[in-house]
Amino acid sequence: MNSVSQQQNSGTALGSETEKNAGGTNTRETKQASGKQLVAIIFILAMATKMFLLPIFLIQSAGRDGYIILAIYGAFDLITLVPILITIRKSDVDIFELLSSVLGKVGAKIAVVIIWLFMFFKLNTAVAEILTFYGTNVLADFDTSMMVVVLLVFLAAAGTHTLRSLSRLNELLVPIIVICLAVLVAIVALTGFDLANIFPAVADKKDFSFALLKHPTWVGDFTPLVLFIGRTKTKKYTWCFAAGSGVIGTAIATFFALALSAAFGNVPALVDATTNISNILQFSVGNVYGRLDMFSSVLWSVSVFIEAALFFYATCRCTSFVIGKNAHFIISLCTCVAVYVVQVFALTDPMIFSLTVTSYPSAIITPIMAAAIPCLALVCTVIYNIKHKNKAGAVGGR
Amino acid sequence: MTTQKKLLIYKVLLFLFAFFIAFMPATALRNKEVNSRVIVGILGLDGGDEKISITAQYVMPTETQGSTGKDTVTVEGETLDEAVEALNTALGRRVELGHCSMVIVGSDVKPELLGSLLSATDVTADVWMSAAQEKAEDLLGDLTDFMKKTGATDADFIAYSARKAHIATNTLLGFLSDLGSASKTAYLPLVEMQDSGDKEQGGEGGGSSGDSSGESSGGEEQSSGGGESGGGKGGEGEKPTGMKVEKLAVYGEHGRVCVLDSTSARGVAWVSAPVEKGTVCSDVEYEGKIIKGVCGRLLKKYATVNVDEKNGEATIKIKAYIEPHGDKFNSLFATNNKSADAALIAGYKKKIQGEVESAYKDCLAVNVDPMFIGREFYRYHPDYFKSEYDYSAVKVKYDIEISLK
Repeated sequence: MNSVSQQQNSGTALGSETEKNAGGTNTRETKQASGKQLVAIIFILAMATKMFLLPIFLIQSAGRDGYIILAIYGAFDLITLVPILITIRKSDVDIFELLSSVLGKVGAKIAVVIIWLFMFFKLNTAVAEILTFYGTNVLADFDTSMMVVVLLVFLAAAGTHTLRSLSRLNELLVPIIVICLAVLVAIVALTGFDLANIFPAVADKKDFSFALLKHPTWVGDFTPLVLFIGRTKTKKYTWCFAAGSGVIGTAIATFFALALSAAFGNVPALVDATTNISNILQFSVGNVYGRLDMFSSVLWSVSVFIEAALFFYATCRCTSFVIGKNAHFIISLCTCVAVYVVQVFALTDPMIFSLTVTSYPSAIITPIMAAAIPCLALVCTVIYNIKHKNKAGAVGGR
Repeated sequence: MTTQKKLLIYKVLLFLFAFFIAFMPATALRNKEVNSRVIVGILGLDGGDEKISITAQYVMPTETQGSTGKDTVTVEGETLDEAVEALNTALGRRVELGHCSMVIVGSDVKPELLGSLLSATDVTADVWMSAAQEKAEDLLGDLTDFMKKTGATDADFIAYSARKAHIATNTLLGFLSDLGSASKTAYLPLVEMQDSGDKEQGGEGGGSSGDSSGESSGGEEQSSGGGESGGGKGGEGEKPTGMKVEKLAVYGEHGRVCVLDSTSARGVAWVSAPVEKGTVCSDVEYEGKIIKGVCGRLLKKYATVNVDEKNGEATIKIKAYIEPHGDKFNSLFATNNKSADAALIAGYKKKIQGEVESAYKDCLAVNVDPMFIGREFYRYHPDYFKSEYDYSAVKVKYDIEISLK
């Protein structure tokens, strides 16, 4: 905020600089996130929304094979993580500067508008999942139009702050989330879960392929990481840890989906939005641990807030770049209004949400975008680096 | 506006928001206070195709004395939703089914009703299930009397059986999942009440042969015997004095198929239930003499069903860790002879195998599979299951291993 007001007060000379930096961050410091924070963010993104409603939809469609589809989506996301990590390593400038440099100003803005649409769609998916989760599991009488405001206050705060703030918040929460997940994993292991109920695998190939092609809306969770390009201080082994945390996060999400698939594999028709990891103890006979899971799952569910905040932040930064202004507060406010309208007037019925996320257009476009954004970033980085190498060579030659 | 001013505004807004949240339950949501609720502890379900009857054992929280005493109410409806709505109306409040810790199922209840119970109401998936010999309403009435008499507040007494006794228990999700498996069979423990007229059936040990009741497995389910209190109706001074959880009600796709006697019920518990505790009593043949009723505590057990599609065989493997005790064991132990151990192992093995065999035979007679042999074939040989599997043609072998502690 401070730097923005300083820029606005500095007259026309700085006015053009503001436009140049639009979409970047609201601070002049370039390297905002540390390698450790990047690792923590990747861990959260790998599992957050994949542990909410996705296992439910998958079990409803594919029965006991739901976890396999989730693992395939997780693997797809891990593949898209590779170009992102390479880009973060190779690029010293942020994604917007990369795009501007390679595609030109107009081309970059068109590309960012498309990215904006994707981020906004993913943001709304995450928000709808959060509202469904809390509406069906935590609060008996849940008024979406009121409760979404509480979430939007948090998202607006994330939008007006820096990438560093968001990364720090996540860094603070990750240890708690890890402990809660460990508690849930231990409960699953100790309560005699009949994990063999996942067999036979892919007994009905038709249902399996149908479910696989219907739910790719949940891929692309690593795409907000493009904001970390050129803004992350990394060390020698950051890449290994980042990739490792992505793999671990995906494995955890798959494990919980496997537990749910085993519990409901015989009775997929009984699965609904109230069924998720929050009541995992209910799935095993003879549990003696009471409702220890509730505490853990509520804390664990915080991870989805972080993912939603990252998509919100990415949406705001894309808007900022497209309109060429660093008015973060106003942009956050407008994005909140847009999310509110979508959630309250369009997605308020869970059926509409379900139909939207499982529709063929979203199932086709989402994976394409999930792969295209990291690839675009990588290609732009390569071109940008070649250009600047040639320039540097020409200067050196002189 | 300076940053300091903005920060101040944020802080004030944050404080106001926290204040609003903190005091909201007492102002905006006054009607949601706990004393406006009614808590259902046990739910009884009766009824077939035409009418569904729900009996609820409930307490009402009150501001002054914690809660009212336990009582029951029975309502009817054509569907489960209608019956639950009638329950709300009958008690004048929205009933909290999320706290329900046990569901009792009457003999005529169809399994699909339990699916609706899980998906359409707040009853949780981990709620304990039990079966009534006839009407759940009667059993729940007796249970309520018993709980009032003993001062018991916790309704999930069946959980004791799940942890400490050798009884096959089940939860709502477990029941529905078993029924939805390839075996299409599920079981529930049958709860009976004892009253002062049941003296002769009173203190038998867990390892008793259990056929004294004359309940034939594999046949039609039988109506309540004369010894039962009549469940909630039996005012006449006959108050329940305890419970019996020895038999097992076995369900197929369309409802209850049979009630297994206590021997077969124990057989099912050995193979299918996750119980690891209980008592095993067996006759032991040692040096040509039969020593009756040498008892031991079950410390742990592992049970698996291994299937071989080539030979159409299923092998029920049980490994049980038993700690013998009691005067009869002590006299055997005093001989300090390895052959005494071998005799004990042989005795326990025979006993356990007898129970498992009895369960298998009884279930085969009525074509139910509570030991989930079919499920194992489906899991590991799905093609064989679809094309050739025939439950009645499976050769079942037993591999019982006893380890004395």
